Amino acid sequence: MRTTASIMAWCCIAVAVAQRPSPAPAQAGSILIKGGTVHVGDGKTYDDGAVGFRNGTIDFVGYEYAVKAAYDSVIDAKGMQVYPGFILPDATLGLVEIDAVHASADEAETGSIEPEVRAITAYNADSKIIPTVRSNGVLLAQATPRGNLISGTSSIVQLDAWNNNDAVVKADDGIHLNWPAAFVQTGWWAEPGSTEKQAGDKRANALAGLRTFFLRAKAYAAQPFPRLTDLRLEAMRGLFQGKQTLYIHADGAREIQEAVLFAREMGVPRIVLVGGYDAWRVAPLLRDKKVDVVLQRLHSLPGREDDDVDLPYRLPALLKQGGVRFCLSYSGDMERMGARNLAFTAGTASAYGLSREDALRAITLDAAAILGIEQRYGSLEPGKSATLFISAGDALDMRGNKVVEAFIDGRRISLDNGQRQLWRQYEERYAKP
Amino acid sequence: MATGGAAAQRNAPVNGPHDRAALPVAFTGATVHVSPETSITDATVLIQGERIVEVGKRVRIPTGAEVYDLRGLHLWPGLIDPFSELGVAKRDPAKLKEQEGAHFWNRAIAASAHAAELYVPDEKRAAALRAQGYTSAVAQRMDGIARGTGCAVALAGRTPAEDIFLPRASANFSFSKGRSPDELPSSLMGSIALLRQALYDAQWYAAGGSREQSDADLEALTKLQGLPLVFDAGNAQDLLRASRIAKEFGLEFILRNNGDAYTRLADILAIGSPLILPLELPEAYDVEDPFDAMEVTLGQMKAWELAPSGPARIAEAGGRFAFTPYGLKEPAGMWASLRHMVRCGLDTSTAIAALTTVPAALFHMEDQAGTLEAGKRADFFITSGHLLDAANVVYETWAAGKQFVQIPRGREDPRGIFDLNLRTRILKLRVSGTPEKPVAEVRLADGDTTWAKAVIGIQGPVVSLWFEGGKFGFAGPVRLNGVIHDRGGIWDGQAQGPDGAWFAWSAIRQRERPPDNVKERRAMAALDSIWALPSGPVWYPMNAFGTTQFPDTETVVFRNATVWTNGPQGILRNADVCIHKGKIMAVGPKLSMAELFPKGKVVAAEIDATGLHLTSGIIDEHAHIAIARGVNEGTQSVTSEVRIGDVIDPDDINIHRALAGGVTAVQQLHGSANAIGGQSSLIKLRWGRNAEELKIDGAPQFIKFALGENVKRSNWGARDRFPQTRMGVEQVYYDAFHRAKDYAKEHEAYAALKPKEKAKAVPPRRDLELEALAEVLAGTRHITCHSYVQSEILMLMHVADSIGFKVNTFTHVLEGYKVARELARHGASAATFSDWWAYKFEVNDAIPYNAAILHEQGVNTCINSDDAEMGRRLNQEAAKTIKYGGVAPGEAWKMVTLNPAKALHLEHRMGSVEPGKDADLVLWDGDPLSIRAKVLMTFVDGARYYDRRRELDKKAEAETERLRITARMLAAKQAGAAVRKATRQEPGQWHCETIGERP
Repeated sequence: MRTTASIMAWCCIAVAVAQRPSPAPAQAGSILIKGGTVHVGDGKTYDDGAVGFRNGTIDFVGYEYAVKAAYDSVIDAKGMQVYPGFILPDATLGLVEIDAVHASADEAETGSIEPEVRAITAYNADSKIIPTVRSNGVLLAQATPRGNLISGTSSIVQLDAWNNNDAVVKADDGIHLNWPAAFVQTGWWAEPGSTEKQAGDKRANALAGLRTFFLRAKAYAAQPFPRLTDLRLEAMRGLFQGKQTLYIHADGAREIQEAVLFAREMGVPRIVLVGGYDAWRVAPLLRDKKVDVVLQRLHSLPGREDDDVDLPYRLPALLKQGGVRFCLSYSGDMERMGARNLAFTAGTASAYGLSREDALRAITLDAAAILGIEQRYGSLEPGKSATLFISAGDALDMRGNKVVEAFIDGRRISLDNGQRQLWRQYEERYAKP
Repeated sequence: MATGGAAAQRNAPVNGPHDRAALPVAFTGATVHVSPETSITDATVLIQGERIVEVGKRVRIPTGAEVYDLRGLHLWPGLIDPFSELGVAKRDPAKLKEQEGAHFWNRAIAASAHAAELYVPDEKRAAALRAQGYTSAVAQRMDGIARGTGCAVALAGRTPAEDIFLPRASANFSFSKGRSPDELPSSLMGSIALLRQALYDAQWYAAGGSREQSDADLEALTKLQGLPLVFDAGNAQDLLRASRIAKEFGLEFILRNNGDAYTRLADILAIGSPLILPLELPEAYDVEDPFDAMEVTLGQMKAWELAPSGPARIAEAGGRFAFTPYGLKEPAGMWASLRHMVRCGLDTSTAIAALTTVPAALFHMEDQAGTLEAGKRADFFITSGHLLDAANVVYETWAAGKQFVQIPRGREDPRGIFDLNLRTRILKLRVSGTPEKPVAEVRLADGDTTWAKAVIGIQGPVVSLWFEGGKFGFAGPVRLNGVIHDRGGIWDGQAQGPDGAWFAWSAIRQRERPPDNVKERRAMAALDSIWALPSGPVWYPMNAFGTTQFPDTETVVFRNATVWTNGPQGILRNADVCIHKGKIMAVGPKLSMAELFPKGKVVAAEIDATGLHLTSGIIDEHAHIAIARGVNEGTQSVTSEVRIGDVIDPDDINIHRALAGGVTAVQQLHGSANAIGGQSSLIKLRWGRNAEELKIDGAPQFIKFALGENVKRSNWGARDRFPQTRMGVEQVYYDAFHRAKDYAKEHEAYAALKPKEKAKAVPPRRDLELEALAEVLAGTRHITCHSYVQSEILMLMHVADSIGFKVNTFTHVLEGYKVARELARHGASAATFSDWWAYKFEVNDAIPYNAAILHEQGVNTCINSDDAEMGRRLNQEAAKTIKYGGVAPGEAWKMVTLNPAKALHLEHRMGSVEPGKDADLVLWDGDPLSIRAKVLMTFVDGARYYDRRRELDKKAEAETERLRITARMLAAKQAGAAVRKATRQEPGQWHCETIGERP
């Protein structure tokens, strides 16, 4: 132990920082964080714990007293909390900059069945939103296309990168299928007309189209070297080989039931349900078919007028009771700028039937497992990536979420952002007499 | 099929000899239902021309009278449809491009339309009504907010001049602009404001305005005196909205309702207006699949169950109503509805009165129609039985003495199973199908189970029938001709066999009723037994979280709580709070009941709040919950005349959800689509109560202004409406306020005139738009202004300073931190989001530190929602100011309680836990700023409108109710009731930017 660095308060970081701070260089010396409460991500915690990492990989997790190896620098986190980096699935971070500015939107391609479009292609590592999300502890995200029956292919990225290639954690991890809704309303929500099952034809056609497409895709995937390349079918190949996940977006019990049975029938090995408002109602089916759930944003209104006021908050507990593995997302309105609140939705889960460590698991280890990156990410364990952060307090609570240090693959990333910069500027303006 | 009756239009020439006989017609032997209460058996009705001459048991039939023997039949007064668009088409949009004549500027006000001038006979629709016994209708043009006058029409199929018997039978209104091509109104509140303004303009027109301009519509609105005024209102809340307009202008409306009036019965009866109710009832839902059934709300289920009892409930409570078949796809469906209403408690004579005497009285035609009395028009219909008998058949309708045969009498239902005697053989004949299109089959009398097809034709009493005779011992076809006798029971005549020989045949009916009718009967019996069980109660509102009992104001002592006083005492630990009569009575350690209530007598509930936190209720400075049909009247740059207070929706489930999040009061704001939007409404969340009861008594008046992208329509709409830039927005304000200043001066000058001068002068027009702005100038109406960037914030403060008013609150104000000192100097409050940004270009520089900076610089700062979802977690949003900018918890908490109370000028009553203030309190299970905080109880004015524990009972009750009605729906479907497919309600919410009443 050559040097002991005390934590630099973020407000002291040099003022002259661009709205997007530079990505951090690779970890040079080994680092030991000691003294804080270490949340492993799998449910375990170590009070007075320590985490050591070198060359981007964790080599020690445990109680501080058990640290034996020497580290180049030591961060004293006494009284603080150490977490694995939070993971944001089903996100459009980096795909749209400003909602109302159409020119800044790259999230939804035109078409209907477009598995060939790849989110990573459009992912803007320089989005000004990313640093504001990262500074609340979200260090990994799944860049996900939107729209259509099949939106396209997502990729998993880390949030401190020079460009989209540099950001990739797992390229083309899965394909996103939006299951057509079974019930469609006439009128609109403010003045609903009589509502009825979607005029049968349109939906039936969509489902028939999907079935045909999947059957063709499967046949195509069986040929190692097809004579003619079909971009759509080629994009589906990994699904049938189990290399990619089929993410099925569905909320209603009926749609979930249909979609899961469909995907199993088509022989897709890896299926994840996204949204899943009614997933708890069909938990036995999901358990039986081994389907994990990326849950919708918990901070939502009940989906049905008669639903319990706090039903959205209790969804994690209901899924846990039902024996279904799940993680949390922040999809929906304002999903990019709001993603910095992901941790608080986990906080809510912990108030409505989940333990705090289980709630944490839903944005760390289980998220990693569901996205297929748990070998490297999601928990603080020797051999895994040093993607973690230190918070002054409980990071699942607005009052405690003060990220003071964060590392991605051992790289000590900047926690500054354009918003902090403006804050400092105006604090300074008003400080002058 | 019409025969006989009155002469042609009197002053028109006739092609050929005139029909001058006008023979009297006598109807004898029927049960005559003179009025809903009185019927005479074996009576005679004598008519001549289009009038009834005499009705009674001993009527002398003059010689030369036509006589109809109606023994065994019933004769009823003709029905009157009080709400019809018969023969009066809506405007043709293609012809609306050019304004013809001198009319009101907005074509939703079409008061000068007169149905009597527009009426074009519509025989098809008239015949459909006559088939059910209707003989007259009040027709109106159902197009516009002021729809002009309606006319009363006899359904006698003559020329309009003959059939229209009251050319000015009604004047008609609605909340829907219909086919008006003008953009305004696009919201319910806009419709209400437009109608109010038109009615004020009419007053001005009558008082002399007509000397300044001509306007046929205003002219028409000055001539409503004495006319029945029909308001096509819609749902129960709309009835109450219409009644407030009636009150303001001293009008009396007949209110058309969609059938849910029973859901707010007491309030609606208090209006005292007669109602027009639909004969259409909601269909059941298909709830066989439990997944499908989840999409049906309890509110929809209860409406299905309770709607049929609505008319009975209204009648029992003393309300008066007429029925209309309007809205029914087939008027014939009305009888099933009526029978169901009677099954659910409606008195038969009340039902018949609602079809006859009530509409006659409402539209001043008692002297002509409604009952069967001498001198009235000969409007009646002849039936086989009682109107409410499922097997009843309408034979003939007589309108204005003109006969319309529906089913030829004497032509009996031929259906049944007959013994068919053919010379030496007896066969079985089965006649099924419908009486009009019978289907015949024959088989051997014994041991034969397969029916062979026969061809049947019936012309009056003559029947012909043929079938292939091979199976029955004939060499070929057997053909029969005969006559039907004895109510269809006996048929006989001559037949010709395949060999050419003639022989006599007969058929005797063995089974009276065809089998399908038996099925109907069984279904009726099944339905009767399903509905024999009582229905559930009305809940307020009618959804799963509604209540039958409103909470009372309680006397409660909270013991040993952590009390966030928001006052000089700060956060008190282990303190007691006593509430009594809706107010906070005392706050302090160990309160003594004996000291608080020295006279005793008062029993206070003690709530052990050890470990719990007690705060004042959250006040959302910027909300759009509980608003009906449109949050923006953004069609013009200035719409200060519209009022959110006109369109409060007390049934919005988000009220309950907000209470569950500790919210007790909100400012319901107009949206941000225009520079000067509408007037706000300040409400407390008294869940279940009615719109008027939600309003905060004596609350100060507010109005919404807006700046930036929404106002200049950056993200939608045409690119040519002024303003398109922030430069233009500034000028909109100068223009509006210069006009408002002149307006105020004009009215002051008029008020200062001497009585003599006043009599000569035309009074200035009352302008609701400028009036609201004049109130801003006078300081009696406060501005909440939607804003984002610093330049526009500075601009509005400058306009305010130069014109002489103040901007009370900047809302959103996401760049407020850049001009915090200027805001503080102006004395404006700021109501901002905790952390929203990047949703449009103007929020690019928004930062979550905004609230902290504003607060530090001395601006009264609030955190608001603008969103129903966030609105129920405002405690969490307040807590974010701790994270972003390090605001102290006590100050953070004030940003959702005391500070909004200040911004709304309600801090003398709300916003802190101090004696004398309203008992709007929230009990939390822990620190309210924690992500894990849960609301245990929410009190509004000392009444417990939310209690987390009691919610469980409520939930169980709702579930029981749902299962009970589900079972009833399943049974109803089995008994043959029509069902509709299950549904899903999209949980959409209003935001600032939601445009329109509909997509």
